[in-house]
Amino acid sequence: MVERAVAPPPVDTATQPRSDHALMLAVRDGELDALGELFERHHGPLYGFLVKLTGDRTAAEDIAQVVFQRMLKYRHTYRDDGSFTAWMYHLARRCAADHFRRSNAAPHATDPAVLHAHADDRPHAAHHATVRDDHALLHAALARLDRDDREVLLLARFQELSFAEISGILECSVGAAKVRAHRALRALRDIYFNLQKEPAS
Amino acid sequence: MNCQRVRDLLPELLDPRAEAAAHGDVRAHLTACPECARELATLTATAAALDTMAPSHPSPRLRTNFYAMLAAEKQAAGGAFAAHPPPARSARAPLWRTLLTPLAGCALLAIAFYAGRQTTPAPLAADLQTRAELKKLQEQVNKMGTLVGYSLLQQQQGPANERLRGVLTAARAEAPSDKILDDLVSALAFDPSANVRLRALEALYPHADRDVVRAGILAALPREQNPLVQLELIDFVAAAEDSAAAPALQRISLDESTNRSVRDAAQRALARF
Repeated sequence: MVERAVAPPPVDTATQPRSDHALMLAVRDGELDALGELFERHHGPLYGFLVKLTGDRTAAEDIAQVVFQRMLKYRHTYRDDGSFTAWMYHLARRCAADHFRRSNAAPHATDPAVLHAHADDRPHAAHHATVRDDHALLHAALARLDRDDREVLLLARFQELSFAEISGILECSVGAAKVRAHRALRALRDIYFNLQKEPAS
Repeated sequence: MNCQRVRDLLPELLDPRAEAAAHGDVRAHLTACPECARELATLTATAAALDTMAPSHPSPRLRTNFYAMLAAEKQAAGGAFAAHPPPARSARAPLWRTLLTPLAGCALLAIAFYAGRQTTPAPLAADLQTRAELKKLQEQVNKMGTLVGYSLLQQQQGPANERLRGVLTAARAEAPSDKILDDLVSALAFDPSANVRLRALEALYPHADRDVVRAGILAALPREQNPLVQLELIDFVAAAEDSAAAPALQRISLDESTNRSVRDAAQRALARF
């Protein structure tokens, strides 16, 4: 359970909990408080997706914040027949793309304190020493994965989305979404096992 | 089923959404093919590692910022929960508002003006009497001020500022009596302050056609020693084209002790005669 720093608005428990779709329709119709319930339900998985996608906790929080801002801003575009989760990840994908575009365009400041971590980007020596355990290796493998592959893999493995929803998010066919997800898993596997085979310093 | 076809389908076996009984032919192939079985094992290990990745939790900042943003949005929306108008309707609304709002404002203004005129009560008799009394009182105050001013004008031993006030008060009189003009002429001839004499001369300009004023100017002209007042006096007689001032101007123009500008002004005035 996530520790809460700010108490969310009280939710009426006397009635049946509304579905994500019903809540978002209420937000669209002006009941802005309903977005608080959607935030409580989805900000954790959304943040997890963004952390794995960006490899940056601060950026993930910032992007998650922007996603909910855009939900409010573009609430009138939410469709009656839509899927809230697919819509949310559709927005998240766009926000993350904006983040990557800005990151690539902006000059990168280098902290002298972490220069040793950038001395050699190849998986050797000091770098390898930091990724000895499996989880660290997996994070390193995910970071090396092509961004599109990482995106589809995270959507397929973690977000409990159907391939129909993923295809909607990626704006491709269901078959293409499956192929891309399977190809991404194999690519990750190759990177992951290659990292394991590299000698530690 | 060949190995390539099986390997294409292996990820489907690892998909948590896939049915366990599906792809029976693929599973049968795996039992007989160590290479494909090894391929499946590596993919399974990768997927398992992915599934066991520790979930990440955001800092409290995200929740704090979200509810602050939501509160700001609610405030911006005025707390109204009404349905947002569709874009087409909202696009037409400003046009109607643009056309109708100024017209409605003008109409309301006209109605209010007409109603105000219709409902303003007629002045009562008591009000009219009060206004008359106020007007009379104001006239008395003005008259008193004038008398005080004249009194100050006559007190040539008083402070210069009070004499100046007396001259200014006299200058405001629309139809000054001969007495007031005498006092102004006296101020012009005898007041020790050049400022007072200059203001007295200015006050006499509108009455240059009066005999008492002309006589006073002619009397003051040969006696005046201040160049500024002399120049004003010469301009006065030149503007009035009073040829009676010619002898005095002649003496001024010939007096070498007189200021050069004053003498030149006297000569120019004589040339006009």
